[in-house]
This record gives sequence, C-alpha cells and structure tokens, in this order.
Amino acid sequence: MKKNVRTFLVALMVFAMVAVVVAGCAPAPTTTSTPTTAKPKLKTAMVTDVGGLGDKSFNDLSYEGLKRAQKDFGVEIKVLESKEQADYERNLTNLANAGYSPIFAVGFLMTDAVSKVSTTFPKTQFGGIDEFFDKAPANAAGLVFKEQEASYLAGVLAGLAVKDTTIDPKIKNNNTIGFVGGLDVPVIERFRAGFVQGVKSVNPDAKVVAVYAGSFNDQAKGKELGLSLINQGASIIFPVAGATGLGTIQAAKEKGALIIGVDQDQFLSVPDAKDIMLTSVVKRVDEAVYQTIKNELDGKFAGGTNTSFGLKEGGVALAPYHNFDSKIPQSIKDKVDAAKKAIIDGKVTVKDSLK
Amino acid sequence: MAGRPEIVEQRDWTGIAIKAFSPVVSVILAVLISSLIIWAFGKDPVAAFSALIRGSFGSMNYIGETFLSAVPLMFTGLAVAYGFRSGLFNIGAEGQLFMGGLAGAYLGVVLGGMSVFIALPAIIIAGALAGAAWAFIPAVLKARVGAHEVITTMMFGYIARYIVSWLVTGPLKAPGPIPQTDLIGAGAVLPRIVQVFPALQLGRAHMGLLIAVGCAALMWFILKYTTTGYESRAVGFNPLAAENGGISIASTTVKALCISGALAGLAGVVEVLGVQGRIFDTFSSGFGFTGIAVALLAKNNPIAVIPAAILFGALSAGSSLMQLEANVPIKVVSIIQGLIIFFVATEPFVSKWIARRRKEVTARAQ
Repeated sequence: MKKNVRTFLVALMVFAMVAVVVAGCAPAPTTTSTPTTAKPKLKTAMVTDVGGLGDKSFNDLSYEGLKRAQKDFGVEIKVLESKEQADYERNLTNLANAGYSPIFAVGFLMTDAVSKVSTTFPKTQFGGIDEFFDKAPANAAGLVFKEQEASYLAGVLAGLAVKDTTIDPKIKNNNTIGFVGGLDVPVIERFRAGFVQGVKSVNPDAKVVAVYAGSFNDQAKGKELGLSLINQGASIIFPVAGATGLGTIQAAKEKGALIIGVDQDQFLSVPDAKDIMLTSVVKRVDEAVYQTIKNELDGKFAGGTNTSFGLKEGGVALAPYHNFDSKIPQSIKDKVDAAKKAIIDGKVTVKDSLK
Repeated sequence: MAGRPEIVEQRDWTGIAIKAFSPVVSVILAVLISSLIIWAFGKDPVAAFSALIRGSFGSMNYIGETFLSAVPLMFTGLAVAYGFRSGLFNIGAEGQLFMGGLAGAYLGVVLGGMSVFIALPAIIIAGALAGAAWAFIPAVLKARVGAHEVITTMMFGYIARYIVSWLVTGPLKAPGPIPQTDLIGAGAVLPRIVQVFPALQLGRAHMGLLIAVGCAALMWFILKYTTTGYESRAVGFNPLAAENGGISIASTTVKALCISGALAGLAGVVEVLGVQGRIFDTFSSGFGFTGIAVALLAKNNPIAVIPAAILFGALSAGSSLMQLEANVPIKVVSIIQGLIIFFVATEPFVSKWIARRRKEVTARAQ
C-alpha cells in the first residue's frame, strides 16, 4: 500500500515535470500580423468534417486556401473542427453568430447542415466544398470540381505512355491501362469518364480495365485489385479510391507498374512511390476557397448556385511529372498541353459520365 | 467496498461521501491538468474553460445543444452500465447502436407517412429490438459455449458497421451523389422539446432526452425491485454463488446482454429520428465507446448516468465556442475526457489510501 502511494506520487511529479518541460518548449502564441487594409476586415472561417485537420485531404487543403487569403488579403480566419455530426450545425451557427462570412463547410456530409443554417442566417454567405445543392439558398454556393477535365489529361498521358517502352521498363507494350475506383458513385465516375475519354482520344485501341473496391479505406483490397490488374497486363494504373489506392500503389511497387496519383500530388505525399508516380490528378480545393474569398471581397460571391471548378478556373490540374520529367518525350508533353489548351478554350468538352 | 457490509452498518458517512464525490474530484483534477496543457500551448486556460462553460450552459439554446449531444451517451452509458452490473462488458454497444439506427432509418422511410402516434412508438421499439437482436447472438454464444463477450460483441460491432456501410452505398442509398439513406418521413420525426413544451426554448434538443431519462428510471427500478434485476446483479456480483442460489447464469446472461443491446439500439434509433433524419457511414462518432466512459464515471448507477452523460455532452457542445473564442483545438476536449476517465479509474486506489490514513489517525487517537 505505502509503496503504491509513493509510486503514485512519483508518477504525478514526473507528469508535472513533463508538463513544465512541454510548457518551456511550447511555441509562443501565434501573433497574426496582417497587412492593413482600408476596408473593414473580412472575417472568414471554415468548419471541418469529422476527419478534422491533419487529414492530408479536403480539410487541410481548404485551410491552405484560408491561410493564403489571410496572407494576400489580410482577412481574419478561423477554423472549427467537428468531432460528431451534431457539431456541423453547431459550428456553422456559432460562426454565423460571431459574424463570419463567408463560412466554408468542408465535405458533402455537411450539405444538410448548410441548407438549414444558411436559411437561418440569410445575411451570411456559405461555401460548401464538394457540396452540390439541388436548390441552393441565395446565400450558399456549392463548390464542386470538374475532376473529369484533369483526368482527361492524365488519360492522354497514359494513352501515349502505354505505347512508349522507352519511358520505363515497367511499360509492357500490351496497351492495357487499369483504373481502381473506391465506389461506383458519381464523383468517381467523373474521374473514370475523363480518364477513358483522354486515353481514347490518343489511343483508340487501348484497353482501360476499371475495377471497384467497394471501400475507400481497404488497403488490402486495393492491393489485391492492383495485382489482378497487373496480371491482366496493365502497365499504368490510376487508383481513385482514397486509402484503398495506397494498397494499389503498393501492388504496383511490388509487381512493377506505373501509377497516376489522385487528389493531391502523391509524388510528395507518398514518398516511397516516387519512382512509379507518373503524375497526379489534383483537386485544388485550396484554390476554390481562395477564389471564393476573393470573389466575396470583390462583391462577386456566387450564391444560390453550384460553381464547378475545372482546368480553366485552376480548380483541378495535373501535377508535375517530377522524376519522369526527363523520361517522358517532349512530343507526349506537347500533346498533354494541347489537350489542356483545347479544354480551357472550350474546343473539347469532357463528359462527366460515360453511362 | 460494497463487499464490506460493516461499513454500511457503521454509517461511515465520510466514506460514502468520498465515494460519491470522487467522480467530481476526478473532473476537477482533469480540468486542472487540461488547463496546464492549454497553458503549455500558449493559450489562455481561463478563456478556454469560460468559453466551454458558456458554450454548453450559457443560454437555453446552448443547454439544448448539450442535451442534444448527451442523449445518445445516456443510452449507451445505460447500456454499458447494465452489462457491467450483470458482470458483462458490452464493448459492442456501437454495433447495436448502428443496428438500432438502421432500423430507424429504414422504418422511418417506410412508415414515415403514418401518424406520429403510431409510427414513432413502433419505430422506436423496433430500434430497441434491433439492438437487442444484435446482442442476442453474442449473448447466446457466451451462455452456451462461453465465448467471451468482449470479443464477440466487438466483432459484431464491425459487422454492423460494414452492413450499414454497404446498405447506404447500395440497396438503401438515396438518389444523389451522397452515400446515405433517404430522409425519414414526417411521421417518424422525433419532435423537439420546444415543439412539445413551447416554454422550453431548448433549440435542437429533442424528446429523446425524456425517453433516455425514462429509461434510466426504468433501469434503476428493474435493478432494484424486479427479479430480473436481482438475478442480474447477483450474477454480476458472484456468478457461482448466484448459481448455487438457483439462478441460471445462462438465461440471466442472455437477458442482461439483450437489455444492454436494446438500450444501445435506442441510442441509434433516437439519434436517427431526432437529429440526423437518416443513416450514413459516420453517423455515430463512437457513442458506443464513449458510453463506456459515461458508465465508468457514473459507477454503473443508472441515475448517475444522466449527469455523467450531460457532462460529456457539455464537453462536446461547449468545444465549438472554445475553439471559436479561445483558439483551443478540439483535441483538448478529448484530452479532458481521457483525463476524467484516468482519474475515475484510479479512484478506488485513492479512496483506499484515504481510508487507510483515517484508520491510522483513529488508531493514534485511541
């Protein structure tokens, strides 16, 4: 007994000491120095979904957009993270009460909450990342992405690269390309549709084999599908499946295939796949947030509608080729650039579904 | 200590007070250490807790938010507590909650066109039954072959989650891009408290609160005054002695785990009918697991589950204003929760130490 008490007290003391040390190391409170502007300062904020900050995805990217706006326009920014579903309405309401506008709600699961809260606060602007409103309230803007346009460029690249064995020995010259989807839902179909159209535009005989994992966080399944695609002869695979895709990348690393990354530049975010990452189809969520804030400052906030961010708006893009930059022939790069220009100029329209 | 009746006979009020107040002490200690952590990160702990308290109890609306977050935890807290009282660790409340929620979301659409007075009770009962049914299989496995309920209920939790995940992306998916079920019909919506009692402007808080409080009272009654409750407690206390006394461990186990599952199922169905209006992959933020913490803090006493759940609900509700005004990240709320549990868990050890001290003091006085 006595010994236990002593142990407990010692543990408490150690804990207190650690706390003090932590305190000593803690960074000083962040003082946000913002350039002074003549206009009253705009207060803008975002609410994360339950994934929270640190998800290396939409929440983090939206925050990047906010931070850029803070730096460039001197706006005041705030992030509220959500821990449970009930937090969505709660956080949106508290921000609206505190005078923030526009308020960004990140993720389609907040669509219901934005619809409700935007009706309660008609003078506050709301931006819904990845949210598509059937009937958007006048003060809410759905911010969605034309994934098919950047996927089209990836398709052009893949369609040409799959016939060029000089790029990498992993290309087996049997004209087969793989696609791994998380679920067969509209957003994934936009990726697939754009990709297939891109491939066929330069290589009509190419075979694009599409498979679905049924989950966005099943790495084992992603790997299994990757291996089976490689067995079917695929030399280039485009996994659009969240964490499931990491399994596919693993399969490609082991069995020798090239990967096209998704959402963000996976050359940077998946460092051990550097040697097989041709490029990535990136969704510039930060750009959508940044531009919406800019529009609000210019008095051009597009409420009551859904705005699609495509290549032209800088909402989607193809990441740099990185390690493959020296290996991909200039002729292929030129074709990709030409396709990009054609889409931006409106000469090519990419369908968002092939069904 | 309950095993030493002489303490009760002596009316050791100080001992009883220590036991009753130890959760309060745990909360205070948790707040103090969290303050230290907040301070260590360069934020103002006073501002943080002031915002946390105002954001959870500062107005009728905020109190409503606290209730909103507390309701599912009351149900899961009761579910876990009933299991513990019967000597069972129902770690799979989350799965039973998903099944209750699934029943609610499905029947809410099917029966949503009917009158509230028919649809609502029917769906709520169905939700409880779905939770009970999901606990029934692990219960039978425990009773018949002794398969440990910690493993089986937990695995059934995964199965339930993935069944829901499959249904909302496939057979039950509503039209549109989002993997979720259709909105429930008007007849299935659990009304808000303010709609029934206009004097209580409790915002989003819904009538599930009353159902939860009713369940707590019912559970207290069952445990204290019914044969089922007596048998549960007896098996929980000492299964061999209970069996010697003519109580069937098998049937008591099955009954207890099903009651526990029914309570967890209620958490799910009430959350669907009162808050979300549908079910989707992430509709529960681990209410079944937080329920374990609530039961611990309440020391498995059904009445004490109510304030314990309200405390955890307040932490959730108040965290929004805490982030907004004090710039304290939401993770701090999880740290506070963790510390509360830590101190509750170490409480028997502290109170034993106090008891020993007192004995020494008394001995010296004599």
